[in-house]
Amino acid sequence: MLSLTHERKNLMRPQVFILLLALASSAMGIAQTVEESFARDPGPLDFIHGEGYEQAIMQSLAGDALVGLDAQNQVVPRLSDRWEIKGKVLRFHLRDGMRFMNGSPVKPEDIAWTFQEIQAKEDASPTKRGVLQGVKVTLNGSFVELSSSKPAARLLMELAHLPVTRKDHMDEGSGPFSLVRKGSEWTFTARNHFLKPKLSAIHFRLIADDQALLQNLQKGWLSIGVPPARNNLHPPPNMVELRQPTRAQLIVFSQAGLAPLQALEKWRGEAFPVNFFSAKAHPSRGLWPESLGFPLMKIQAPAPLSLRGQHWELLYSSGDELVQKALLALRERAKQDGVDLEPKPVEAALLYQRLQKGNFQLASALNIYDPNPWSVLELLEPEGPMNFCEWKDAVFAGLAAKLDSPNSPAWRDLQKVWAVHPTALPLLDFTSVVWVDKRLKVEASALGLYLTTPGPAGWDWTK
Amino acid sequence: MKHWQGWIIWLVAIAAAFGLPGTVWHQAAAPAFPWAALLPMVSLLVILGLTAPAMAGWLGPNGAKHGMLALFEAPPDFLWGGLLLALWPSAWGPPGLAAFGAAFLVAALPSEVRWLCAAMPTESPLPIAYGLAAIRRTRRTVILHLMPRWLAARVPLWLTAALVLERIFGVQGFGSDWMQRISHRDRLGIAVWMLAFALLWRATRIWERR
Repeated sequence: MLSLTHERKNLMRPQVFILLLALASSAMGIAQTVEESFARDPGPLDFIHGEGYEQAIMQSLAGDALVGLDAQNQVVPRLSDRWEIKGKVLRFHLRDGMRFMNGSPVKPEDIAWTFQEIQAKEDASPTKRGVLQGVKVTLNGSFVELSSSKPAARLLMELAHLPVTRKDHMDEGSGPFSLVRKGSEWTFTARNHFLKPKLSAIHFRLIADDQALLQNLQKGWLSIGVPPARNNLHPPPNMVELRQPTRAQLIVFSQAGLAPLQALEKWRGEAFPVNFFSAKAHPSRGLWPESLGFPLMKIQAPAPLSLRGQHWELLYSSGDELVQKALLALRERAKQDGVDLEPKPVEAALLYQRLQKGNFQLASALNIYDPNPWSVLELLEPEGPMNFCEWKDAVFAGLAAKLDSPNSPAWRDLQKVWAVHPTALPLLDFTSVVWVDKRLKVEASALGLYLTTPGPAGWDWTK
Repeated sequence: MKHWQGWIIWLVAIAAAFGLPGTVWHQAAAPAFPWAALLPMVSLLVILGLTAPAMAGWLGPNGAKHGMLALFEAPPDFLWGGLLLALWPSAWGPPGLAAFGAAFLVAALPSEVRWLCAAMPTESPLPIAYGLAAIRRTRRTVILHLMPRWLAARVPLWLTAALVLERIFGVQGFGSDWMQRISHRDRLGIAVWMLAFALLWRATRIWERR
């Protein structure tokens, strides 16, 4: 009996060992892979045509731009380890040892090809085409030189969002993770890279529905996720809530003159009770985003004597619960002043078409500013993509020419000019609320978790 | 040309797809067709296409008044999806395609069976008077005649209605593709979908004639 038990124990030992090994390795696998979700299908990885937030995440994981932005929004080396600014020319020195996914080295020709392809193709990413508008790319030996009429500081910051792909291939970057897509799942696996990623992999699943995402977070199937914008929603015990400032604002454009904007400037401070948006948003205070470093400024024009009896139709993108809630609160506040403010939902593409045509009284749109002060010029420039109300001022061109750095005094002068007769006003500043697994060390930033350098390559699991 | 009225309607639908108003902010390339979803979605439709007529044949025209069928038909598909997701044990990991398929069939089958049962002719006094064999033969013939019309009427609906469950279970299917093309204003892609539905309608007309 004893010997039989002993034999059984001996026989079972390797099985138990194998079982424990399998359990340990599977547990390690679960622990090291970050489980994430995409709200929309980002489409195939495409460094030339790809557009949108999900595509930007994929490109930042699988690709390297010439430079990066760190969590404090400072330009840091990435594909290029150093650069020189000579007047309006930026000269980049490429880092040694950088390789694309197929193992071939990153060469200046690849950078030139990527940029020239974006410039040449009409269906290339509109955001990237905007950055490279008027930029001349030249190869000078082992250097890449970019010249532009834009201030060098602005171009340098904008280049952080232009990852490079291998010549003649639109989907092959040199980033810290390599991508494998299977149906509606995307797996990014760490590779040999100078940023030395500590995670083994990041696995994305497609979860488009807010409620489904919440259930996935509560059941522990996701390591990171953005909870729906609801009050009294708390992260599950295994997660912490991370709050990041963003450069996203809800902006109201006015074709009905200055009076509605002056009224909205007053109402936005009074219409929303404390915690009305939980942590997701708060009323804007100035005219331009505080998060870009602009000082608070109010509209510099005499207020109209009475608004009683006015009727204003305010268009907004349908389906956005938070925006709808905000506009309904504003409507109630407007009633107190005798104004009939009528929020009207419009499908996103129809709303943008009406904005472009100027066919509206008041219209609101969500805008995410680029992380540099020059991005507000989209509201002011004659051909600016957000100058829907054709704002112009005689002194604009002269002041714009002086905006050569983020600290230029011309910024304040320009804001004063805008404050006299603005055509747009921010209503809400958004905050990014993310639930993150307690064991995962990530770095919060105004650019989000992914779009910084080192970004996910710097994340790690606590031991 | 037979069926010219039908073709006019389909051509109007295709023209409407090309004329869809709206402009997209920072227009991205049109989404790629989810080829990986083709086999699972077609398999689901085949299962639905075989199970619903079989159940309708078993229940007969009285199935249209079946209390249990009505009970299962009443809840919307998001309820089935949400319920399945809520009851799915955490330890099993996220439910995938199989759960999506189960929720799709639970949501779709009762209404499809009732649709077919309601379209079947009454069996009293004939063929009931001739016995069970005659009833079976009549039901088989009726179902075979109903199938083309049923498919033409319902398949486009279920392909697009699957969107709700696709969003809940994180499955990239035809409903999501259809919706993405509309939000991207991919007019050509929407027109191709319309053409596919038109061809399905035409194929069922040929089947019905035979």
